[in-house]
Amino acid sequence: LAKKNKEDKMSNLVEEYFEAHSSSKVLTSDRTLQKLQKRRLNQQTLHDLLKKAPLAYAAEIKELNQQHECLFSKWMLQLHLGFNVVLYGLGSKRDLLEKFRTSMLQDSIHLVVNGYFPSITVRSILNSITEEVLDHIGTFRSPLDQLEFIIKKFKEDSSLELYVLIHNLDSQMLRGERSQQILAQLSSLPNIYLIASVDHINAPLMWDQAKLSLYNWLWYETTTFSPYVEETSYENSLLVQQSGSLALSSLTHVLRSLTLNARGIFRLLAQYQLENKDNPSYPGLSFQDFYQQCREAFLVNSDLTLRAQLTEFKDHKLIRTKRGADGVEYLLIPVDDSTLTDFLEKEDEDA
Amino acid sequence: QQIQEDLNKQLFDNLVSFLRRSHSEFQEKKTEWTCRMKSREIPTAALVLGVNVTDHDLTFRSLSEVLQNNITPYIALLEAKDCPGIKNLVQKLMGQLMNCYIDVDSLEDEDYVQVSQNRVRCSMTSLINWYKSVTKKTDSGTPNKKRTSSSRHWQSPPVVVIFKDMESFTTKVLQDFIVISSQHICELPLVLIFGIATSPMIIHSLLPHSVSSLLCIELFQSLSCKEHLSTVIDKLLLTAKFPFKLGEKVLQVLINIFLYHDFSVQNFIKGFQLCIVEHFYSQPLSVLCCQLVDLKKRVNSLSHHQCENIRRLPSFRRYVESQVSENQIALLTADDFLKETVQKLLEDLHVYHENYVSVLRCLHIFTSSLPKYPLGKQIRDLHCTCLENQVWETKEYESSLQLARMLNKSDLVTMLQQCVEIFLSSSGKEFDKTIEKLKEFLTQFQKLEAEAFQEQDVSVSSQKELQKKTDLYHLQKTLLELKESRRSKKLTKFEMLRFEVVDYIDSLVRNYLVPAHHKTLHEIAYFNTASVLRGHLNAAPRIALHTALNNPYCYLKNQALQSDGGSISNKAPDICIVYKLHLECGRLINLVDWLEAFSTVVMAVEGSNAEAASSDEVDDIIHARFIRAVSELELLGFIKPSKQKTDHVARLTWGGC
Repeated sequence: LAKKNKEDKMSNLVEEYFEAHSSSKVLTSDRTLQKLQKRRLNQQTLHDLLKKAPLAYAAEIKELNQQHECLFSKWMLQLHLGFNVVLYGLGSKRDLLEKFRTSMLQDSIHLVVNGYFPSITVRSILNSITEEVLDHIGTFRSPLDQLEFIIKKFKEDSSLELYVLIHNLDSQMLRGERSQQILAQLSSLPNIYLIASVDHINAPLMWDQAKLSLYNWLWYETTTFSPYVEETSYENSLLVQQSGSLALSSLTHVLRSLTLNARGIFRLLAQYQLENKDNPSYPGLSFQDFYQQCREAFLVNSDLTLRAQLTEFKDHKLIRTKRGADGVEYLLIPVDDSTLTDFLEKEDEDA
Repeated sequence: QQIQEDLNKQLFDNLVSFLRRSHSEFQEKKTEWTCRMKSREIPTAALVLGVNVTDHDLTFRSLSEVLQNNITPYIALLEAKDCPGIKNLVQKLMGQLMNCYIDVDSLEDEDYVQVSQNRVRCSMTSLINWYKSVTKKTDSGTPNKKRTSSSRHWQSPPVVVIFKDMESFTTKVLQDFIVISSQHICELPLVLIFGIATSPMIIHSLLPHSVSSLLCIELFQSLSCKEHLSTVIDKLLLTAKFPFKLGEKVLQVLINIFLYHDFSVQNFIKGFQLCIVEHFYSQPLSVLCCQLVDLKKRVNSLSHHQCENIRRLPSFRRYVESQVSENQIALLTADDFLKETVQKLLEDLHVYHENYVSVLRCLHIFTSSLPKYPLGKQIRDLHCTCLENQVWETKEYESSLQLARMLNKSDLVTMLQQCVEIFLSSSGKEFDKTIEKLKEFLTQFQKLEAEAFQEQDVSVSSQKELQKKTDLYHLQKTLLELKESRRSKKLTKFEMLRFEVVDYIDSLVRNYLVPAHHKTLHEIAYFNTASVLRGHLNAAPRIALHTALNNPYCYLKNQALQSDGGSISNKAPDICIVYKLHLECGRLINLVDWLEAFSTVVMAVEGSNAEAASSDEVDDIIHARFIRAVSELELLGFIKPSKQKTDHVARLTWGGC
């Protein structure tokens, strides 16, 4: 009966999947954040605002955490018996691990790896083991060699013990096959004790049988409900202002410092681009056409001046040139349309 | 903890020795084969090992040990993860071979230094340079070595290269290596061993014809993992040697993980180990879980507190209730009396284990030959059913007894003989009578055989009589008589005996196969919390996340969170609200609409609370909270930013989860 139920459930799941992916067309409203009359928050203001918002259910969360803390001594025992501990569940497990570190590992050598840190690599982990723990100065040709060296050292010296705490083992940087393989081999050493936390729903997909047996995991559910403050601070969310792309403020800043004619040239290009924004195959404005238009508007008098002007724009990354299929140079402004519209509106106001 | 380590050690020793034994035969075959193949081209052994990759380590280790002991070869073990390119492969190979060489011959230190330098140089050169030098090296380096050593050995020993996981090697590397080594085969006798997890077909799909024609492949099959499991269970669970036992549910969980997930004996052992750890960690009375020899000492050294613990055990309570009142009082108050009783009870438990195992095996002999296997084919199935409940109450037992009553004689006799052997080998004292009884049965059967001959004679003579009488009337009469006699035919002696035997077995079962949890003080030896085990070994992080997001009340015990399923409670944590809203969407989610829906839900609370703060600021805070929740969902992998449409995110899950 149970099997049948399971089968039913399975087929249900399958159907649900196809239901979700059946129509290629998705019906959602066309509203965009731009139209929402609200300034975009940047990282700092977001942080400040969140500080103001009280954390809900603080008491209950604390109680949960205390439950988990009771397990600390058990973890220690199991780590020493050759198992490695992995924590899963909703909520940041950073504080919990930190607490484990401060309460249990004070006297022993331990290594904390912040997996959520965007520039972490396995190499840096290995380096910190060889340099800090083993006091070995020197470089290795490949992580594999380094790993071999570490394994040899640890096998030679049985008194050497190392606790490794990894926050977010499943983070972008560590989830690769190679890095997991190396970490698994590390964790399989009897003198290295590993405690890690995973958050992603598909985290177990990282491991195959061989790695699982190297890791020798014991799973512990530690749902904490505490917010992922550190973990998400590196995740550039869609809603937070992205520093990478050209923003309106920087656009106006640059243009303020230009001559009137230069501004006119940019405006012309912007207007032309906005007129064609609904045309998906719009390649940009060709240089010849653009020159013609600028001449008509008395913005430039020669090919050369326009080219000089465009070079300046290019240096400020205000425009991008692209060669079309016919070899003609096309000009584009690499800014999204809404920002461009805002810009034009503002220009009109100023004028 | 001490005991635990002892136990672990015992367990592992047992296991390793078992594995050794199971492989030894197979290995002998292989060593023989490697000796034989020495002088031809590239001999290759393909070991089909099954999908339980994790167990292969042990196999290979013992294999290389056996090969080394028989002095023939130098062995290099290559793993796919160490050999992403041919360069690494050869480097690794050289390193291992040279180390092997040093191990075996124990050269002086100077040579060692030289060797290691050699190795460094070999890898420092770029790939092309290396390729030029490798011809030199394999020509001059390894064959030299071979020659030097071969002069010392009575014959030129082959160099064995073991590819541990054939499937995960890149084909290019493998092909190159085979081609390269085939060119030097006359100077450097190589033997390749492939460890194959799937099927021998993989060789042909990995290697093109031109390469595989360079090999001379012989297939070897290893034992299937299921057989391993049954032997392990036999060795670990069905002995009285280990005082620690598994409860039914736990065993079921372990077997299920094995059969439905990974086929890995290693993992099974790991689970068993975890059970031991859990048991000795969580159960305060597990100190008493020890060999009979240590029992007395330990019972006597129990503290008052521990005695109280014993009194609190549910099985002990049952025991106390069944006693007379004076005894009850003594048991509940006097520690000394308690200790005495406990000791007796534990000894009983021990005896029970011993008897249990042998009777179980007997029953297994009977049931495993029945058609359709009503009680299961393997002894572990039988063990599970016996542990779970009173086995004689199950329908399957009923049907198997009925089937047993229809057994023919020769089967029955062999079975009985097997049973006798089992009882003889078991150390339990109570079986003297049983053995006698069974032997008696056997002799009766032998007698029966003799009688059967006579009976046959009788029937033959009656038929002769029949033939004699030619009178029609008489014939009819006798025929009728015969018919009648057949109908109301008395059971033959054999059948009677058969019933008797079956009944006797039945009674044995009833006496000795009482499920463990009906025994007093079974908590000490049995580990029964399957949920813990399942949680640790076979965790479901997705389900945990789902329940936490869907129903935060499971974790946060706040009355406000108690809701009736489906609806979106506005008092839940932000991330739960966002999650529930996202569940209602299709494949793509518009961020603006999502934000608006979120703020409506949250505002319902906020509005009821206070409208003091300026709406703008509240708005901003809500916006910020939304951002946090969405980026948390992104971190958890429920959504990802999508480029299909501006300000949309794609859902990565479907349905309700």
